[in-house]
Amino acid sequence: MQFFIQLSLDGLTIGSVYALVALGYTLIYGVLKLLNFAHGDVFMVGSFIGYGVLQALGGASDPVVPVWLLLVLVTLAAMVGCAVLGVVIERFAYRPLRNAPRIAPLISALGVSFFLSNSMQLEFGAQQFNYASYNLSGGALYFHGFDLDHVHIPLLRIITIGSAFALMVVLWFLVNRTRTGKAMRATSFDREAAAMLGIDIDRVIVFTFILGSALAGAAGVMFALRVPTFAAVGFTTGLKGFTAAVIGGIGSIPGAMVGGILLGCAESYTAGYWTTAWSDLVVFSILIAFMIFRPQGLFGRVDIRKV
Amino acid sequence: MAERLLELDGVSLAFGGLRCVSDLDLHVDEGEIVSVIGPNGAGKTTLFNLITGIYEPDEGDIRLAGESIVGLQPHQITRRGIARTFQTLRLFLNLTVKENVMTAAYGHTKAGIFRSMLRTPGMRREEREISELANQKLAFFGERLMGYRWNQPAYSLSYANRRRLEIARATATNPRLLLLDEPAAGMNPVETHEITELIGKLRTEGGYTILVIEHDMHVVEGISDRVVALDHGTKIAEGTFVEVATNQGVIEAYLGLGTAETK
Amino acid sequence: MSEWLPPESESPEEAVPTTGPAVGRDEWVAREGERRVSRAGWAGTVEERLRRVPWWAWLMLFVAAGSLMPVFESSGYVRLVGFNTVVYMMLALGLNLVVGWGGLLDLGYIAFFGVGSYVYAIFDSAKFGYHVPSILIIPAATIVGALVGLLVGLPSRRLSGDYLAIVTLFFLELFETVATNGNQIFGHDITGGSFGISTVFPLSFAGHTLAVQHNGIFAVSYYYLAIVMFVIVYVSLFFVNNSRTGRAWRSLREDPLAAEVMGMPVNWLKLTSFATGAGVAALAGTISTALNASVYPLNFSPVVLITLYAMVILGGSGSQPGVVVGAFLVSVLLQVLQDPGQARVLFYLVIVVGVIAAYRVSVRLAIVAASTAVFGIATHAIAASFHHSWVDGAHGGLAGVLANWVVVPERLTPWVGQVAYLLLLVGMLCATQLRGRLRLVTLPPTLYLAAFVWENQMIPNPGPARYIVLGLLLIVLMIVRPNGLLGERRVEIN
Ligand SMILES: Nc1ncnc2c1ncn2[C@@H]1O[C@H](COP(=O)(O)OP(=O)(O)O)[C@@H](O)[C@H]1O
Ligand SMILES: [Mg+2]
Repeated sequence: MQFFIQLSLDGLTIGSVYALVALGYTLIYGVLKLLNFAHGDVFMVGSFIGYGVLQALGGASDPVVPVWLLLVLVTLAAMVGCAVLGVVIERFAYRPLRNAPRIAPLISALGVSFFLSNSMQLEFGAQQFNYASYNLSGGALYFHGFDLDHVHIPLLRIITIGSAFALMVVLWFLVNRTRTGKAMRATSFDREAAAMLGIDIDRVIVFTFILGSALAGAAGVMFALRVPTFAAVGFTTGLKGFTAAVIGGIGSIPGAMVGGILLGCAESYTAGYWTTAWSDLVVFSILIAFMIFRPQGLFGRVDIRKV
Repeated sequence: MAERLLELDGVSLAFGGLRCVSDLDLHVDEGEIVSVIGPNGAGKTTLFNLITGIYEPDEGDIRLAGESIVGLQPHQITRRGIARTFQTLRLFLNLTVKENVMTAAYGHTKAGIFRSMLRTPGMRREEREISELANQKLAFFGERLMGYRWNQPAYSLSYANRRRLEIARATATNPRLLLLDEPAAGMNPVETHEITELIGKLRTEGGYTILVIEHDMHVVEGISDRVVALDHGTKIAEGTFVEVATNQGVIEAYLGLGTAETK
Repeated sequence: MSEWLPPESESPEEAVPTTGPAVGRDEWVAREGERRVSRAGWAGTVEERLRRVPWWAWLMLFVAAGSLMPVFESSGYVRLVGFNTVVYMMLALGLNLVVGWGGLLDLGYIAFFGVGSYVYAIFDSAKFGYHVPSILIIPAATIVGALVGLLVGLPSRRLSGDYLAIVTLFFLELFETVATNGNQIFGHDITGGSFGISTVFPLSFAGHTLAVQHNGIFAVSYYYLAIVMFVIVYVSLFFVNNSRTGRAWRSLREDPLAAEVMGMPVNWLKLTSFATGAGVAALAGTISTALNASVYPLNFSPVVLITLYAMVILGGSGSQPGVVVGAFLVSVLLQVLQDPGQARVLFYLVIVVGVIAAYRVSVRLAIVAASTAVFGIATHAIAASFHHSWVDGAHGGLAGVLANWVVVPERLTPWVGQVAYLLLLVGMLCATQLRGRLRLVTLPPTLYLAAFVWENQMIPNPGPARYIVLGLLLIVLMIVRPNGLLGERRVEIN
């Protein structure tokens, strides 16, 4: 039981990271019908920006600002940086291809993904960058926390999971309660109709990229607070986020959240009860099972062919 | 009496609660030309989608020459002898004009990948036959499609010729029943007149049975043995052209009065 | 009945009277041929002549030129590069089948290359003691590759290209995982794990072994064998493309629904396209593994996938000669980028040609050239006045010539390089947006910055630099020329 709680906690932590990444995929897929392969790399850049800001503020062991402010600043910087990056990517790599054949932006996205990961490697090398979060206020974020059935739940985990959920709530609010959010939903439902109703599609798309990429930036920081980051991390994490989005039903916001958590837990349990080596296999099997039995995902709707 | 080629029996279809076709009975006899008319959104194209297997009916049965075709994949239905054209043209634009017609021979030819790689004599013979077939189908349009560069991509064709190519492609599946979805849409009066003659010729020389959706009443008058009028997915009239054209319900449906009163 | 007769001649264009279209024809279209602008003078004549050369003549010419390479080039390294290029060409042909004809975004393609490689390595290596004759193992590996392709495609067969992309991409990731952890599958060692299998036997036919090395250098026989396999693949695929199946693949790429309604079993056709491509990849894997005498999980990373996509897109997806040329160009490009001297020459060549192409021979060109030169010399002088070590990094060759222009410090402080790279990206993005005078002003510093970054960061780090170039190539190609060098113009109406 203790072991199970431990694994669940782990699954929830990594799952909330996946969920944030999956949300970006889902949002962008919703409005552009584009699988943004570069999204995982935006996430990776976010973790690097976080690292840079962390170092600039004195590092984890000796920060010049209080710890809570440090975490907020690091996360905010990553979110803003990624939002800018996302907008630039959209503006230069996808917008010129708005009316191109379906496959063109996909290939452009592959190019962007490749360009970003190798640029980071060129700039900073292929080595790992460790936030050394156990040094934050002398390890207090790990000692503190509470015990659940003799399992210690560190404060940092609670902060991570809590802020991931807070971000999702904010996103839900933005999408469901603001004008732009409503325009976004209209656009993802039917782009042409939305355009005819006077919705500025370009604005909606930029807004979507800002939201999605900012979430990826936050996810990057949360990820790197747990394990070190490196230039090639975007590919695998992106893939997982992607899979989470598909399992949840691509285009669906609650779907992305549930899919992310599900994937994180599946990975964690596999690693705990079986072996880390084959966790990919388990996730792939889940993906295939969904493809066969529920291709529209948990919360997706079935597309009707239009003739 | 001629054989029943196509029969629809109480066919209904709804999209998320919205009824598009309800309890429709329809039949087409061997060698007949039947026109379907009705205002936009009446469910005419949906009817074609049902017959060709793109949608499956919620209720009812569709039979081709007495055998039910409900639940079959579209390509299986095509192989049994139903071919169609699309109202919104759906040519293979980047294939050549002739290839467009040749593709439709897929259902009644056999050579597989390995035979094609090796170019066995049987495969080459079949290729020649397909090529002959395509020449023949294209030549059916006489001057109109003749003499064009058949090895140019289909996107280089004009709108009217794209419509003709769609018909040529459909006939290359060797169908018994041809479904034409607004064949005269977007054509000028001369071309519309030609299409009328052509549809007649498709029956007399091609031997096809034809179900056609058409808005142009001159065309409908010129070709139809029988006319069926649809509105809101139900059949509101059926009979000869004159009978249907003078039917009060049909006139109201077209003028938009019917909607106000029946709702 | 006269209308039913086929036209007299096979090529209907000859039937068009030269005086003009006959009455009743669609004139605009009938005159399509006349409207097509053909180049004047001898260039037009040459172009027309070249168009008439049949495909097999081109192929023979190409193969002849390729076969002569070892005659003129005795370096084992160059020959090896030649071999790898031919393998890439084969891979590109297979990927073209799936992406260019079938219209399916197959992101797991390299995994099938891996399947072929591992099948060969497992059944033909000292590691497990099997020694299956090549004449059996090559077709067997091809078939296994195709079958695995079929299995992977199966779950996503009803779905759109996007889902196929995800499943295949994940499959690629999974393939790497399986290969890396394959030394402990329920206690059995199957793939040799991350160390791979390094005792693979060379090819052998009828008891005669085809040695990989001859007097310590690359054995040319493998090069020729690869060419033979390439020709077989090329011709077979050419035939398939012009058969019932090939036409069906291309029509489902154009419009799957219309294809289905015209009697083509779209799901099955997608699967066959996918599986045939996988088979070609597996075939390429066998010979490549036999030559390298080893196989490692890292041989099948996404890097190789992107390289292949760059080849197919650059050459022109959908066009067989196109992707072959694309494979050749990208392969050469990757080699050039690895050599500092050649990479330098290539860079300045591209810059010069690019700027000339943008401005033609004009006053503006002179302004850009002069101001870039002056900008550089000034920057260099300022840098040199601080400390001589700031400009002491360049030696010899073209680098020596440029040593008074571009600043190359002995040791670059990391943050300078990082900032320069970032600035360069910003400059490049701005340059695409600005017009007229503003662009004229921003161009020289950007060009200089590009030279600085190239000399100080890209050339010393050929690993990431090569792939940055490939990534950029993909993006720019998609925007500027999505049909590639030799691809046909495509239209798509949604
Ligand atoms: N795939 C679909 N999903 C939802 N509604 C549909 C779909 N296809 C057709 N409809 C609806 O069915 C009705 C009939 O359409 P259609 O058959 O195209 O009319 P028409 O008689 O003009 O050809 C229309 O109201 C249309 O909106
Ligand atoms: Mg219609």
